[in-house]
Amino acid sequence: MLASYVRLEILRMVRNRRYLILGIGFPLVIYLLNANVFGKGTTDGGVALSAYVMVSMAAYGAISGTLVNTAGPWAQERASGWLPQLQVTPLRGWMIIVGKLVGALTLVLPSMLLVCLAGALTQGVSLSAGQWAALVGALWAGAVPFVALGLVVGSLLRPDAVQPVTMITMLGLVIVGGLWFPVSAMGETMRSIAEVTPAYSYADMGWSVIAGHGVPLPDALTVAGWAAALGVLAVLAYRRATVRA
Amino acid sequence: METIPSTPAFALTGVAKHFGDVRAVEGLSLTAAAGGAIALLGPNGAGKSTTVSLLLGLARPTSGTVRVLGGTPEEAVARGRVGAMLQQGELMPELTVGELVGFVRGLYPRPLPLSEILDLADLGSLAKRRAKGLSGGQAQRVRFALAVAGAPDLLVLDEPTAAMDVESRRRFWDGMRAYAAGGRTVLFATHYLEEADQHADRVLVIARGRLAADGTPAEIKATAGGRLVTFRLGDQPAAGLDALPGVTSVEIRDGVARLRTDDAARTTAALYRGTTLEVHDLEVSGGHLEDAFLALTREP
Repeated sequence: MLASYVRLEILRMVRNRRYLILGIGFPLVIYLLNANVFGKGTTDGGVALSAYVMVSMAAYGAISGTLVNTAGPWAQERASGWLPQLQVTPLRGWMIIVGKLVGALTLVLPSMLLVCLAGALTQGVSLSAGQWAALVGALWAGAVPFVALGLVVGSLLRPDAVQPVTMITMLGLVIVGGLWFPVSAMGETMRSIAEVTPAYSYADMGWSVIAGHGVPLPDALTVAGWAAALGVLAVLAYRRATVRA
Repeated sequence: METIPSTPAFALTGVAKHFGDVRAVEGLSLTAAAGGAIALLGPNGAGKSTTVSLLLGLARPTSGTVRVLGGTPEEAVARGRVGAMLQQGELMPELTVGELVGFVRGLYPRPLPLSEILDLADLGSLAKRRAKGLSGGQAQRVRFALAVAGAPDLLVLDEPTAAMDVESRRRFWDGMRAYAAGGRTVLFATHYLEEADQHADRVLVIARGRLAADGTPAEIKATAGGRLVTFRLGDQPAAGLDALPGVTSVEIRDGVARLRTDDAARTTAALYRGTTLEVHDLEVSGGHLEDAFLALTREP
């Protein structure tokens, strides 16, 4: 049951032009633009800027992709009656939530791989096979809290309110998290705030991998903590949205 | 030999459902034996959709108990024994009719064969079409297909023919009857009297959240006072009219007498032969479910 629900979710998104453009095409274009703006230098830590920006943009694409692809459709399905229709089938509530999560994670993979591929092929980013695997693995698994956040937003808000709120949330996360302007360029206070946000810890796992340090435990724990907290919130918000009062 | 009564399709006992100050359903008790088509008939706002939500576990009663196929509504739904067509429910626009039906079918333990579902809902030619391009009536037929796909023992349809044209309606009812004929139970909510009259084996009339009548369409017509005999009485005395055979109630307004009767022929015969009244403009009306419905659901 769960597998066929996930398959359905993926099938409908792949046929959705909005997903193909915003979810897959957009992060790639943004990366290529940014990579050319930042040029060929290195960071203070001696990492090629092209690789650093590649990680930032892959992370940005994953955050915006999971949020946009989860929150909007979810709010829409609640309002349009598709969700109640699922609720009167044997498909249980937890399967719907898990199905959404697995679907969203699967759908975010292409954009991540495309950005990495573009980095390797057009920007001369060179990493070991182990680094590539660790990078993609960390960014993929680390996207869970953003899917959960999308479900929270989609459960609590009406469809017309979802888009602006998603956009503001997403921009807030990536800017504060240092995905657009590195945290090293921020003041002391901003930097301490950045380090507890899910977006910074998420991207930092990637930055650390390309610098040859592996995935730092504090980052992984922060992301896992956010995943747990937002996951619980998502379940509560789902219950509220499908209230059986 | 005693027969063991089979599990009812559904049973409500003293069910109330309040939304804040609104009492959508109040003191509703009814039991539906399994098998056949049951109409849940009532005017808009009578509590039909609330009753449907309660039966499907989409809402919990404020008080009272709801049992479906011997368990709670949630259990019945989780076991795949219930299928439903809700009033509102858009389809996923990117998916084809065949994909949607195939998906829902796959969620049930013992579904109908795909070809039989498409036949019942008259969708054979639409299987490859995306939901996005369907007309209102076509989408409604797809939703019927999704409701029957799992071969549920209890099929619940909330105002199923809204947005259907005449031809779609006819085919829809054919499909519904075919489904109910297999020993399954179909409950459909409607405010169309003729739908209840023509397609139900049993009619539950609800008004203001309460059960107003329960019986076959013929019984409902009879219990609500049968037929109406009216004539111009003028200044003549009305005494004795209520003693005429068959008469259940007498109402005189503006010189016109209105006699409710369960035997119009004997009443009119006695009116001419058994009284000295001058009877002008005699009319016999009623015997339609509509009259019964209005009598049962009018404000007290």
